[in-house]
Amino acid sequence: MEVTLKVRRFNPEQDEKPYFAEYTLKDVEPVDRVLDLLHHVKWYIDGTLALRRSCAHGICGSDAMRINGVNMLACKALVQNLIKGERGTIQVEPMYGLKVIKDLVVDMEPFFDHYRSVMPFLVNDTIPEGGRERLQTPEQRERFDEGTKCILCAACTTSCPSYWANGTYVGPAAIVQAHRFIFDSRDEAGADRLAVLSEENGVWRCRTIFNCTTACPREIPVTQLIAEVKGEIGRR
Amino acid sequence: MQNVVKPFVSTVRGALTYRGREGQLAWFGHRLAGLGTLLFFIIHVIDTSWVFFWPEGYMHAIALYKTPAFLIGELMLGLAVLYHGLNGLRITLMDWRPSLWKYQRQMTWGTFGLTALIYAPVFVIMMGHILQIWPGIEIAAR
Ligand code: FES
Repeated sequence: MEVTLKVRRFNPEQDEKPYFAEYTLKDVEPVDRVLDLLHHVKWYIDGTLALRRSCAHGICGSDAMRINGVNMLACKALVQNLIKGERGTIQVEPMYGLKVIKDLVVDMEPFFDHYRSVMPFLVNDTIPEGGRERLQTPEQRERFDEGTKCILCAACTTSCPSYWANGTYVGPAAIVQAHRFIFDSRDEAGADRLAVLSEENGVWRCRTIFNCTTACPREIPVTQLIAEVKGEIGRR
Repeated sequence: MQNVVKPFVSTVRGALTYRGREGQLAWFGHRLAGLGTLLFFIIHVIDTSWVFFWPEGYMHAIALYKTPAFLIGELMLGLAVLYHGLNGLRITLMDWRPSLWKYQRQMTWGTFGLTALIYAPVFVIMMGHILQIWPGIEIAAR
């Protein structure tokens, strides 16, 4: 296949405005991933292209970007799912809503600040029974299973219109992380997390738009988890 | 002003460039309908207050509302109020029963469909009224 890769590029030290650079790639396999195409550009055509990636297998969460207008992981986006036929165009842009540092690399710090604000760690200062393990039934473990799949790629948060409008909104990813501990039977800081999330920039900025759910590369039902947290705030 | 304009611009730009699915469409429509209805309320409060403060102005406003632009606006207002209400109920339902997320696409299309269904007779009735009070439209429509 022949693919025209349109990449939105921006180097703040040189460019006044972002622009689209086009690269024509021949002999592309349908099962190649967008990450492979970006590698090809960076390694053989233009080494100045900046992007993040690490594992290349959908685990580390570093290569989320906007591909053909939708947030996905470049390492999980197959060319055959983006192009029908023998040739076509794939458009790649950085995630929207976070500041671009260079090309496809965005400043993730505001995202991680929101992540930290919900205390994403187990809080329990009591000594467990028997002094060794904190036991849990399979059902109790199942309760927060979905949230444990998050890889912090920010695909959900940067797909959210509420987050585009207001970067102080804690965002879907942070709420998923909070959910993971709020519904963990071993944790004792649920009330503190709910206090953070019931503030102005907490869960109530969620307008139930479902962009996060469709963007999540781990298939977490993000909007459902957010709604469960909303319900929990109502109940307490 | 900065606090209003900047988020507005970034949201609209996002909504136009991000290829979200039904949910994003429903949300965008909801916002448009909400802002449109708000605009109507503002105009309405002002013109009604003229009955007291500026009666000639009020008569002028009433005459203005019988012009095509405002009659079409009235049709749109009906649609906006109806859609905003129904979509609001859908969102309330989804937030109340989070497990419904699996059917979010169907429910969104259902909301669009229900809006069209209820709006159809409203449209016919309102259009009939418009043709009565402003027969010129009939000619223009032909
Ligand atoms: S490179 Fe690690 S998730 Fe894609």
